[in-house]
Amino acid sequence: MSLATALKSGDVTLLPGKRDEDWKWTDLRGLLRVLPAASPASDAALPLGPFGDLGEVEIALVNGRLRGDPAALILAAGQSRVLRLRFVSTAEGSHAAHISIELGEGAALTLLESYEGLADGYVADAGLEITLAKGARLERVVVAADAEGAVSVSSTVVILAPEARFAQTLLTDGARRQRIETRIAHPGALAEVRLDGAYLLAGKRHADLTTVVEHQGVDGTTSQLTKGVVRDQSRGVFQGRIVVEEGADRTDARMRHNALILSDKAEIDAKPELLIFADDVQCAHGNTIGALDEEALFYMRQRGLPETEARALLIEAFVGQVIERIDHEPARDLALAWAADRLRA
Amino acid sequence: MAAVKQTVEHVEALEKYQHGFVTDIAQDFAPKGLNADIVRFISGKKNEPEWMLQWRLDAFERWLVMDEPQWAKVHFPRIDYQDSYYYAAPSEKKGPKSLDEVDPEILAVYAKLGIPLKEQAVLAGVEGAPRYAVDAVFDSVSVVTTFKKELAQVGVIFCSMSEAIREHPELVKQYLGSVVPVSDNYYACLNAAVFSDGSFVYVPPGVRCPMELSTYFRINAENSGQFERTLIIADKGAYVSYLEGCTAPMRDENQLHAAVVELVLLDEAEIKYSTVQNWYPGDPVTGKGGIYNFVTKRADCRGDRSKVSWTQVETGSAITWKYPSCVLRGEGSVGEFYSIAITNGRQQADTGTKMIHLGANTRSRVISKGISAGKSSNTYRGLVSAHPKAKGARNFTQCDSLLIGKTSAAHTVPYIEARNGSCVFEHEATTTKLSEDQLFYAMQRGLSQEEAVQLLVNGFVKDVLQELPMEFAVEAQKLVAISLEGSVG
Repeated sequence: MSLATALKSGDVTLLPGKRDEDWKWTDLRGLLRVLPAASPASDAALPLGPFGDLGEVEIALVNGRLRGDPAALILAAGQSRVLRLRFVSTAEGSHAAHISIELGEGAALTLLESYEGLADGYVADAGLEITLAKGARLERVVVAADAEGAVSVSSTVVILAPEARFAQTLLTDGARRQRIETRIAHPGALAEVRLDGAYLLAGKRHADLTTVVEHQGVDGTTSQLTKGVVRDQSRGVFQGRIVVEEGADRTDARMRHNALILSDKAEIDAKPELLIFADDVQCAHGNTIGALDEEALFYMRQRGLPETEARALLIEAFVGQVIERIDHEPARDLALAWAADRLRA
Repeated sequence: MAAVKQTVEHVEALEKYQHGFVTDIAQDFAPKGLNADIVRFISGKKNEPEWMLQWRLDAFERWLVMDEPQWAKVHFPRIDYQDSYYYAAPSEKKGPKSLDEVDPEILAVYAKLGIPLKEQAVLAGVEGAPRYAVDAVFDSVSVVTTFKKELAQVGVIFCSMSEAIREHPELVKQYLGSVVPVSDNYYACLNAAVFSDGSFVYVPPGVRCPMELSTYFRINAENSGQFERTLIIADKGAYVSYLEGCTAPMRDENQLHAAVVELVLLDEAEIKYSTVQNWYPGDPVTGKGGIYNFVTKRADCRGDRSKVSWTQVETGSAITWKYPSCVLRGEGSVGEFYSIAITNGRQQADTGTKMIHLGANTRSRVISKGISAGKSSNTYRGLVSAHPKAKGARNFTQCDSLLIGKTSAAHTVPYIEARNGSCVFEHEATTTKLSEDQLFYAMQRGLSQEEAVQLLVNGFVKDVLQELPMEFAVEAQKLVAISLEGSVG
């Protein structure tokens, strides 16, 4: 059951729908009655993406077709690199892409990943497989700027070795239906995961951030912070699952999801799950959903700030807590600016 | 401190499930299996009117085409519904006129249970016994109903469901199945078709029920699934507190228990529903023989400013599948859920609550404490949702899990659905093991390891125990102790 298998086989019944527990809030089967034809190839030059010309190498997938040298996706032991990875849709129709990224022992990669909708009404699937060898480090910053009428699914599988560090920050403003899924096999063994995200939705957009972290061995840590802001008739979905398998003692896993719901027609659905099969663990999750703090708003207006400005500041500060955790400074600045644009639109 | 002392004594005394005994009383069985004729047989046995039989048959037809739910985190062999008895009644032909006429063996069962509610005295009609109305359900038929007169004076109707069907058909017709519809889920539908008996309570407008109402459920006949059906209606401004406690004898074959409890609350009514459940959990090593508890409990706060409070202590059953829910329809209505779920041995519990906010300014509070030991699995599964019209809805949820032992599992699966801009939902959950430091401290002060665990666990569940009526709190604390017996060291 996935968009990728449905696109491959052309069988619309293979789409996941609301009867599938993991997709109950992101119904693709009910939305897509027919699968669109494959998108055409495109040779047109691409404009700069959300990350501009940051980094050393660019790899793009335009309507599912690779541009650039995929060798850059494999880092040998000790190598380090800043890489832009762009999934661009320039036409209607459907397309799928699959990418593998491998980091050798002690390698370090900053992955600046973007989803760009230059056309509308497309159905796109992206699959990533990321493998980190012992002690490797990867920071992944994702900006998903899909088109309003797009259906977009991105699923990533991350496999970590001992002492590896994987940090991720996802920013999205949604699409007609959008799902960004991250599954992490966590070996414990001093490996570390930071798994952050923010969805900033307006209009009728929808975004679904789904994560699964499986702690398989002792001494693993996971820290997860997701924030959401929904307005108009938009819908945000957060599904986080942390599994601690039998024997994965001394696991420290924390998950937070905080969301602001700014309109009476907006919706937020959340399912923060903890599945724990070991006893010597510290696990917690917290989830809050609510409106802006009226008292803080009052305080700021009392100090002479116009209401719209006060609201914008509060919301930016709220989302800023996620973005500030990005290590790569230029990427952080771009992400902040991108988020501010969305919030003030 | 009496309770603490009792707890300690109990832990020492208890080696095995104390309530594992089978009473031999002549039983009146329906033939094994389930078909429309069995449904007619049950209805006929109970002298039910035609409309009730039709209701059951309709439910049975719907049940035939339903599928058993698979989503819960519990595993058990497929139940053969044709290999069960659906009706068993103690064989007295006439209803007992006084306690003297009650089968002495039944009374002996209560004696063996060691019920703290002084039900013995109540059932024996002892002068000056505390005033608890007891509607004792022995297998499927209410045997004794006490204090009926005193209740009748204030207009409270408290009787068995079969009696209510005969004597208050207008109330039953109006409310039965209005909270949990016939085809709500697989087990509720099965219950609607074959329900044996249960309690019926109606509290008229403005009446504060003068005593706590309680029911003891007890599964007794070999191989007989029990299908209780409880309906409580609190009319405008009424208040009632209802206690439910369960024990069951030890046996080899798994027993199915699929009860339905419906609560109806009109304007400004309040119902407090407390459950202590310690059915046979199955063999601690193989998990064989325990009760399957698949219960549907739901309260419908139809009236404005009504309040419902569920408190449960779940320590027994091989499998618990239970989500007492609150439909907060009336403006300003309040739902509460306090739960302790303890699993040990091979037990599996998938339990939680649903708080469905439909009306404006509705509030709900969920406090869930799960403890898993041995090779057991304990899941909190809950839903909190706010409808677009539920302006100003508020929820606070706290789910804490405590793990004892390397092979136990604790899961938290909350679903949160917010559909308007003025609701405030908060959810906190933690999972930890017993603190080594605290254990060490307690043992250093001279407590044995088992006693130290008792002490810490009682502290962990204190928030919920406080919500129980006094006489239940004592029993519950004992149960907590018994359930974790032998889980450390």
